[in-house]
Amino acid sequence: MRVKPLVKNLLRFTNSSQIYLLGVLLIAFLLAFLASISLGSFNFSVFELFNSSKTSLHTTVLYEIRIPRVILAAFVGASLGLSGASLQGLFRNPLADPGLIGVSAGAALGASIIIVLGSSLFPGFIFGAFILPMAAICGAALVISLLYVFTRGFGYQGITYMLLVGIAVNAFASVGIGILTYISTDSELRGLTFWTMGSFGGASWYLILPAIVVISLSMFWMIPSSRKLDLLQLGEPEAYRLGVDVKKLKYKVIISSAITVGVSVSLSGMIGFVGLVVPHLVRLLGGVNHSYLLPGSALLGAGLMMSADLLSRILVQPAELPVGLITSAIGAPFFLWLIFRIRKI
Amino acid sequence: MSIQASSIYWEINGKKILNNVSLEIKNGEVVSIIGPNGAGKSSFLNVLSGDIKPTSGNITFDDVNLKEITIQERSFMRSVMSQSQQIVYDFSVKEIIEMGWLDRGIASYSEDFKDAVVNVAQECSVSDLLDQKFNTLSGGEQRRVHFARTLIQLWRPSDSKDPRYMFLDEPTANLDILHEQNLMKLVKEKAREGIGVLLILHDLNLAAKYSDKLFLFKEGSLIKSGSPEEVLERDILSYVYGLTMRVERDPLRVNYY
Repeated sequence: MRVKPLVKNLLRFTNSSQIYLLGVLLIAFLLAFLASISLGSFNFSVFELFNSSKTSLHTTVLYEIRIPRVILAAFVGASLGLSGASLQGLFRNPLADPGLIGVSAGAALGASIIIVLGSSLFPGFIFGAFILPMAAICGAALVISLLYVFTRGFGYQGITYMLLVGIAVNAFASVGIGILTYISTDSELRGLTFWTMGSFGGASWYLILPAIVVISLSMFWMIPSSRKLDLLQLGEPEAYRLGVDVKKLKYKVIISSAITVGVSVSLSGMIGFVGLVVPHLVRLLGGVNHSYLLPGSALLGAGLMMSADLLSRILVQPAELPVGLITSAIGAPFFLWLIFRIRKI
Repeated sequence: MSIQASSIYWEINGKKILNNVSLEIKNGEVVSIIGPNGAGKSSFLNVLSGDIKPTSGNITFDDVNLKEITIQERSFMRSVMSQSQQIVYDFSVKEIIEMGWLDRGIASYSEDFKDAVVNVAQECSVSDLLDQKFNTLSGGEQRRVHFARTLIQLWRPSDSKDPRYMFLDEPTANLDILHEQNLMKLVKEKAREGIGVLLILHDLNLAAKYSDKLFLFKEGSLIKSGSPEEVLERDILSYVYGLTMRVERDPLRVNYY
């Protein structure tokens, strides 16, 4: 009942070529999905998926390992793309990124504590598998609370302070992770290093189902605010005068980003640059209005992340590269290009 | 139908920015605030639009206290054009103008949406710019686009009798003489359609020509108000601006050099 006017309202400010582009992104997303589930150390043809004549080993690889992994990659990519786009809108800063306000770092610190100290803190705990994500979410939540406390009194200037707090949080988290690295044993160090580089290797239904639910809810909460993010580009006072409750919007973006990023980081480690690169590509393709940018970034983020993960699996078979290496290798030059481009303006 | 501001005080860190200001803006009237820099003109506009809560004093829109009007309802009643901020992303001019289009949840408004944008763009002579990127425009062109957005925000079907208000902080800044005159004529026309207009102007002669009423501010206080003939008076102006002025009558004209 409420969905119809909502969709209509979103589409009103999305022009026809943008709707067409979203369709193209959706197709690209589906192609990436099909390629990702059929290629790898075990190859499946798409036809085989609908055919019952499979060995049990194939079925197990496909349904228990490959598909959860691909779905996780898609959700993490969508989370990072969407939260990057909304944060760049909120901060009115094309360089904003989930990593920037310290949420990823907070989540990473939370998770690192569990990787290094977990076995001695919670020996044989029943919900062992959930401790890592929970710790990451707690870390992200702690950062949000800090941001909330530090930026509360700054009014319209708050956003600048939030970025500065983010820098401080990043520094603090890297100290924490540094200390943990120093005191860790060899095997813990290996886990920590691999996790900081990012990987979808550990995906299982048991772990990703709650993550899918949480991330989806958070996205459906955020995307309807796209019009308000557009108005915010006129400046906070102007947006307010156009009827936007700026404070509420601010917390909505921050909280939804923190949840999606916190959950993503806990399951896959720190995967850099996706939140920065994806919204820019989407803007270059079709425009800057958020009713197109937010869904576009989610779709492209998911598609690119699945492709990056596919690359990480097939480049050095039978071993695999951390997916964070691939996204950073693509993202870092892009980041530099972006900085030069902004300086020209 | 009118906006009433009574005994507005606003101070920050013990410094009085607004000192007992009271005034009224009626629907269909053009009123202008004049005064030197730092007189509290823009602060008063911010208080009136609800951005700033005054330390004390009352503001009513059509006899309803501003405090009891939600942010969204306010946006339907009044539009504000102020010195605008830089826009980071490459929005087109059309997109910027459309940002003034508020969703009132009434179907008839949505149907008229496209016509309204075209008409307002024509009125503000920005029709040729609609597909250009806002950031590539000159300062004066950007002002006109923002003015178009301010008009779209107050757009109504012609039979609507809603009271509406428009606050414009130096709308003619950066405009050439032709566009300055066009904008002021348009403002006057909108007032005739029933919008109450509050302007902040530096050009005293422009204010004299187009305003029904003037409010002269100095150091946060309202020094004098009334018709342009009453307010634009040699001794008071010379005192407020600290500059010797000559005022000619018929037609009313202020000379200061």
